[in-house]
Amino acid sequence: MDADLQAHVAFYLTGKRLNSQLQAIDGLGLRPALFAGYRDLTRLRYDFPLVLLTDRPDGAFVEPLSGLIDAILDKIARGDDGERIRKHVLRLEQDIRVLVAGGAGGAFSALWDQAAAPLIGQDKLIADSLSRARVNLKIDGDVVDCDAALPFRLLGHAWGLTQEQRAKKFGENVRRLVLKLSDIIKADFANSNAGKSAKILKASFGAGPMDHFDFEAMSRILTQAAPKVSLSKSRRQRVEDLLAVLKSQKFFPSSDAEAGTSYSFAFDSCSSALKAYRERLPKAIELARAVAIAELEIRGEYSEAKHSSLFESFGENGLEASELAFLPDYLVRLDAGKLSGAEQNTLTEILSADLPIKILVQTDDVIEESPVGNGHLAFALRSRQLASMAMGVNEVFVLQSPAANLYPMRQQIQRGLDYAGPALFSVFSGAAKTTGGLPPYLIGAAALESRVFPAFTFDPSAGLNWASRFSLAGNPQAELDWPIREFSYEDEKNQAVTEQIPFTLIDFVACDSRYGKHFASVPRVRWDDTLTPIGDAVARERRVQVETVPCLMMVDPENRLQRILVDEKLIREARRCRSMWNSLQELGGIHNSHVERLLAQEKKRGEASAVPANVSPPVQPTAATAASVAPPTVPATVEAVAQESERSPDEAYIETARCSTCNECTQINNKMFAYDGNKQAYIADVSAGTYAQLVEAAENCQVSIIHPGKPRNPNEAGLEELLKRAELFA
Amino acid sequence: MNCSATDCLLQMYDEQHDLEDYQSGVPRWCTGCGDNAILAAVQRLCRDEGLRPEKTVFVSGIGCSSRFPHYMKTYGFHGIHGRALPVAEGVKMARPDLTVFVNTGDGDCCSIGAAHWIHAIRYNMNLTVFLHDNQIYGLTKKQASPTSPIGTKSNTTPRGSYLDALNPLSVTLGVANASFVAQAVDWIPESLFEIVKAAYHHKGFSFVRILQRCPEWLPKSLDPWMQDPNSVQLLHHENALQISAGLSRVYKNQLRHDPLDMNRAREIASSHDVIPVGILYQNRDIPRYEETRQTGVLRTTATVRKGFEAELDKYSV
Repeated sequence: MDADLQAHVAFYLTGKRLNSQLQAIDGLGLRPALFAGYRDLTRLRYDFPLVLLTDRPDGAFVEPLSGLIDAILDKIARGDDGERIRKHVLRLEQDIRVLVAGGAGGAFSALWDQAAAPLIGQDKLIADSLSRARVNLKIDGDVVDCDAALPFRLLGHAWGLTQEQRAKKFGENVRRLVLKLSDIIKADFANSNAGKSAKILKASFGAGPMDHFDFEAMSRILTQAAPKVSLSKSRRQRVEDLLAVLKSQKFFPSSDAEAGTSYSFAFDSCSSALKAYRERLPKAIELARAVAIAELEIRGEYSEAKHSSLFESFGENGLEASELAFLPDYLVRLDAGKLSGAEQNTLTEILSADLPIKILVQTDDVIEESPVGNGHLAFALRSRQLASMAMGVNEVFVLQSPAANLYPMRQQIQRGLDYAGPALFSVFSGAAKTTGGLPPYLIGAAALESRVFPAFTFDPSAGLNWASRFSLAGNPQAELDWPIREFSYEDEKNQAVTEQIPFTLIDFVACDSRYGKHFASVPRVRWDDTLTPIGDAVARERRVQVETVPCLMMVDPENRLQRILVDEKLIREARRCRSMWNSLQELGGIHNSHVERLLAQEKKRGEASAVPANVSPPVQPTAATAASVAPPTVPATVEAVAQESERSPDEAYIETARCSTCNECTQINNKMFAYDGNKQAYIADVSAGTYAQLVEAAENCQVSIIHPGKPRNPNEAGLEELLKRAELFA
Repeated sequence: MNCSATDCLLQMYDEQHDLEDYQSGVPRWCTGCGDNAILAAVQRLCRDEGLRPEKTVFVSGIGCSSRFPHYMKTYGFHGIHGRALPVAEGVKMARPDLTVFVNTGDGDCCSIGAAHWIHAIRYNMNLTVFLHDNQIYGLTKKQASPTSPIGTKSNTTPRGSYLDALNPLSVTLGVANASFVAQAVDWIPESLFEIVKAAYHHKGFSFVRILQRCPEWLPKSLDPWMQDPNSVQLLHHENALQISAGLSRVYKNQLRHDPLDMNRAREIASSHDVIPVGILYQNRDIPRYEETRQTGVLRTTATVRKGFEAELDKYSV
């Protein structure tokens, strides 16, 4: 082993730079090679900055700046000057992006004007393009960039809109209930003697000359003529109580100024949110109860005997989250870095108690050093643990994503906010202070790419199994351990080289100044075949005879390629990170070990057996199976025919199903002929009348369905003639 | 179904009614009158569907048929001649939560009320309309009605009526927005009930012409059809009514007819030799006037007053 390799191996195994040619990377301004193209984000069109929208009919709460600009261009950049307008508006977009990157914020329209002002002065054509575009700028909202404030601003905005919509729906419902309940009281007054007094009657006719009308007489007639039905005392009391509860509720802002201020639902700690929830719960139950009773009252379906006792104990054991879903949800904003043990306990309590509380846990640093210290490397990944723990509770909506990826996750965010139960949003902002000036967007995107902070959702409302609930959508190349990207560069001989390189945890850690000691820069002259790509080293499961050392490709501020040695501790961390990713993959149905094992078994069985496994031999009917076949069901008609054939030809009968309820027979003898439940005639008692009546009924029957049969009394007078007449109805 | 405790409490209204709960008084119709069969079928519908009497309204005009609301223990409005439909439309507009039925006769609907009839079809409001068609003015003791067959001798046409009868089915099918047109006969109670039920379940203007015997003034006129089961043609389709085995045994003349086929419906409606019985046309997609006019604004006294004042202000000087 030559001296260089020996020094490299020593660094790999111990992290010590024995050879002076191995340089520390601190201060070199290196970044992962794949970041070479992302020096200036303001020159790129990507998701950020975002515009937080309000009042959008389609319910969208956020759009990227580029998306809004594209929508305007679609409308106006047509015809001969289309290209020119496009060019000018895109230039404006870039200037807005520069302003936002420089810390500017505020409304989209204000930033537009600010960025447009210098451009308009430059050129008349630009002024024309921008003014035409400005006219089509119909949507406004605050512009936000990917920074430490983003997670709360975006989620807080979406939550606020969701609560507004809920308040609107609730307000409409309560106004309806109040109106209808008030109508019950008003109707009772209008029906009462007081309501029919001459004074009230006169007032109801409005202003005008009414001297010739005698309201006293009208009052007298009305009070005497109308039925005396009034509201029972208990119902009146109930309706008045309901009105009081509905009018004094504090869960939503009321238009009634006297109703007092409504509750606030945004909190900075789990304990304060839980305290507020507990304090307000009796009021919430009272309101839910009032809404339910009011609904029954206005439908006229409230029955004291049936409902009163049930509603007395309403909500005694609490209510399900879905029953309180009409009320506002609580929002708690937490900083993962400052989460105390007590706070974490309360968080667990909230999540496991199925409370309608939405929690945003923001993490600014996902690779903080292990509390064990002494150079111990074990990235704590606190917020990741929280998300996994929350999934274990099983009825919590969980969303994890870096802030950079929140726009593509907007629909999932809305689903979480709409979910009637607890939701945990774990977001990595990317705004750590140790990233050497790399923008939070890039750090966030790197965390997603390197599987350090994968994006996933767990939505209990989507179904009952993991396949419907859990989704890894949004992760790049989710079926692989690491995403593989194409990287092109020029070598020493100016030849273009293209390589497929993975983006791993090590690339992510290399952006962080705290971990510089785990890297060492190899001078260009020492580059040889013993420096192998990181991916191979991570993939190797066990330590083997060290003849090669893993090295990472990075670029310096001039975009010159550097090869950087990595020590074994980081390789181990990368394996740990991959293993965590593999677990998530399994949950998401990718390379599921159970499935793969079963498949392997099936395949083995299939190969072993000569008969193809999926073809089952034809089943021969046996005596046992033949005997077990149920007899075919007898159709109703056959049964009816059988009944008819059982009837003696001498018996009198009616084809009841054909009776048209014309009353002919029942008027002849209502003891002999009667109506059944469907008001169709049958012979109730043949002995209740004479044969003559039977024959008369048969003759009168409009649909000729009465059959008199033979006489029961052989001594009845005129039988001979009656029998002759009856022949027609045999 | 997954339903929360509150939902269960809200659904706890399960009052059962008997047929008697819908019966009011003894019908004054002649013995043998087909109106009795219609009354029995409608009372059975109310019971089977559990219609709440206080949420159900029967509106009628003038004539034998129009005595119907008196015999139902629900809300009712025995209106003025030919105006059953406008009254019913008003009720439905103001109280969309009520179930509104209309009972009208061949004189009430097809003569004096014909204009209202045409427009009510076009408005397609959610009403169930029964045209009791006995082809004669019975209450006033036998005068020819628009649906009296040519040659009908009556007090107003002693030498027999001169014109062909108006066909209420083809008229209804000729008006825009017709959404449910069916024909029933009073002497087949099973099919009468099924058609009444289908009409009730249709959301829109359900028009059922019921051929009804008048044993007093036209005692034999429908006998040829009543006595020959083959002269009644039962319509059936998987999207409409199915014929029971019992009916099939008696009525063998059957026709499979798609209720969405308007042209075929018009042909069937114009049959002379047989009486088609069943659903001729049904289109569930036609908008209902009362729904298109819903604004979602609560009709408080203040809102009504504001709107009223705004209207009056237009004419102030």
